[in-house]
Amino acid sequence: MATLTLTNTERFLINQEGQDFSHEAKTFIKIRELAIKNLKDLEFPTPKLEAWKYTNLREVAKQEFRPQSAINVLGSRLKPHLIPNLDAYVLVFVNGFFVPELSKVSEKKDGDFIVTNLNHAKAKYIKLVEPRLGFLTRDKDQFFGNLNAAFSQDGAFVYVKEGKQLDKPVHVINLVDGDLVVAYPRNLVVAEKNAEAHVVVSYETLDTQSALSNVVNEAFVAEGAHVTIDKIQNENSNTFHIGGDYAQQDKNSTFTLNTIPVSGKLIRNNVTVDIDGEGSTANLFGAVCLNGDIHVDNQTLVNHSKPNCDSNELYKCVVNDNASSIFNGKIYVNKIAQKTNAFQSNANILLSDDAKAFSKPQLEIYADDVKCSHGCTIGQFDDEALFYLRARGIREETAKKVLLDAFIGEVLDNLKVDAVRTHVEALIAKNFVSKK
Amino acid sequence: MLKIKDLKAEINGKEILKGLNFEVKAGEVHAIMGPNGSGKSTLASVLSGREEYEVTGGEVEFAGKDLLDLAPEDRAGEGVFLAFQYPVEIPGVSNINFIKTAVNEVREYKGLPVLETKEFMKLLKEKQTLVGLSGKLANRSVNEGFSGGEKKRNEIFQMAMLNPKLGILDETDSGLDIDALRVVANGVNELKSSDNAFVVITHYQRLLDYIVPDFVHVLYDGKIVKSGTKELALELEEKGYDWIIEEYNK
Repeated sequence: MATLTLTNTERFLINQEGQDFSHEAKTFIKIRELAIKNLKDLEFPTPKLEAWKYTNLREVAKQEFRPQSAINVLGSRLKPHLIPNLDAYVLVFVNGFFVPELSKVSEKKDGDFIVTNLNHAKAKYIKLVEPRLGFLTRDKDQFFGNLNAAFSQDGAFVYVKEGKQLDKPVHVINLVDGDLVVAYPRNLVVAEKNAEAHVVVSYETLDTQSALSNVVNEAFVAEGAHVTIDKIQNENSNTFHIGGDYAQQDKNSTFTLNTIPVSGKLIRNNVTVDIDGEGSTANLFGAVCLNGDIHVDNQTLVNHSKPNCDSNELYKCVVNDNASSIFNGKIYVNKIAQKTNAFQSNANILLSDDAKAFSKPQLEIYADDVKCSHGCTIGQFDDEALFYLRARGIREETAKKVLLDAFIGEVLDNLKVDAVRTHVEALIAKNFVSKK
Repeated sequence: MLKIKDLKAEINGKEILKGLNFEVKAGEVHAIMGPNGSGKSTLASVLSGREEYEVTGGEVEFAGKDLLDLAPEDRAGEGVFLAFQYPVEIPGVSNINFIKTAVNEVREYKGLPVLETKEFMKLLKEKQTLVGLSGKLANRSVNEGFSGGEKKRNEIFQMAMLNPKLGILDETDSGLDIDALRVVANGVNELKSSDNAFVVITHYQRLLDYIVPDFVHVLYDGKIVKSGTKELALELEEKGYDWIIEEYNK
């Protein structure tokens, strides 16, 4: 009898079947079909691929993750996942599906902005969604970008009209509930000319023994517009998280991404920013404080396609226990992108003998009149500073916390909403302490 | 207050202090002088609890307690203060938060309540004036970008804020111009009382024009080889250390 051996990709895809997207407009179904076609040609990522050298997905490939809609999510279960004192439009998704009764949308006729779920926008605002959705995730080679494009259930749609701004931030809360769940939340943020938007995206767990979050954030920043995304990854230690953040910038725009991985089993972030207009600035900041067995892998790519643009990249990592942190940052400067100012820095502090940090900065420069710098450090506590604090009567434990707060504070200074900063500080402080 | 008996200490297997005896009573100012490499800074380091130094013999009693048994922060809590020869820069930690944390941790050690912000600010202003430390430095990171003089004033300012029983000044005069030296000395003189004591470690007699010691000791080869009053410092200034070394080697 012949046995049929399925590849990891085939087996994974079989488990994703059964979602019905037939109600969508043809143009959106095409995106899904193309993504599935791409996926069929792709190997499930293994460490043999350079981009996955330090992150092994064997356990992800092995498990039978399936999409599952959640039933009956009560407001009382949501409450612990809100950010205290944050005045925001809140959009709630469970396992990738929108929960309207827990959300607060805003789509006033003739209003300055639209804050709603993507499925609704695909039907009602097709002219705003169609020219953008999936444009930044078309890369054939990206397994998880294609996976999300193919199976994404829903997500947030934030649209700000020309010259307008959100009157308060949008907080998108993604929750996972149930075992062997895979969720595909996908957010689309659009800021028209001279518009401003601030979106806080948090990933949290209701209850799961095993889950996969495969998320995408896609942002379009038009001329003179400013978009900030704060991404807080706080899922439980049974959850794999593979995310892609993509932004495209027109001239004189600013895009800022603050990435804060706090907990999970494995977190991978692929960040891609295309600076596609003169006079623009891209800011990528990461505050990575880890304990326990978590594995966090941040990959960034900044494409300087046009002249006179700046990019600032600062990832700071504090790694405790058995945790590992990977940073791989690439800056690509096109030959026409003269007067580029690209700065990249990755600093790591290891707090235990078993903690690991890998850092790989990459510069690829084809223009000749640019200022690019990159640097990485991996070290331990500054013993001199620690002794100095202790010699002034500050207990060792307090002194260490003072030094870690100072180290990571340089990154957190970029969180401009006080409630978000306070919330993140509290989450991070827990991770300074060993879990063992 | 401080009793050091036959103290021996080494770093990386090299013995630096070779049986040092020394006693300080409340209300006294002691100067410790000596040529380079005699062990002056090692003594300061051992008293403040630097872990790189290993104490191999002897004892140090401070206010009735075994000082060598205490962690550096507990020594500070008991009232020992070391003004660093090379104050450390700590980026990201503001000078004001640093000193506030220190003041309150020391108060907690002593079983005192935390200082209210208003009281703290009052104390801060008073002590800043005492050492002529610009208020602008309060919000800067600890010692970061401070000039040499500002760093040393910051040390004396911290000492004033913490009000220790025993202040040890480790070559506080090095790298200071005469004006800064005066300000630093003035700070020490203001803090001096019948309840506290100071040990001034210095290479030069210059500082002792401003901080007048009750006793002067010469440290050589890890031991105190000669003690006297302030006149000894003047003699050293005039004749150098060679005559003492010769006397010791006889």
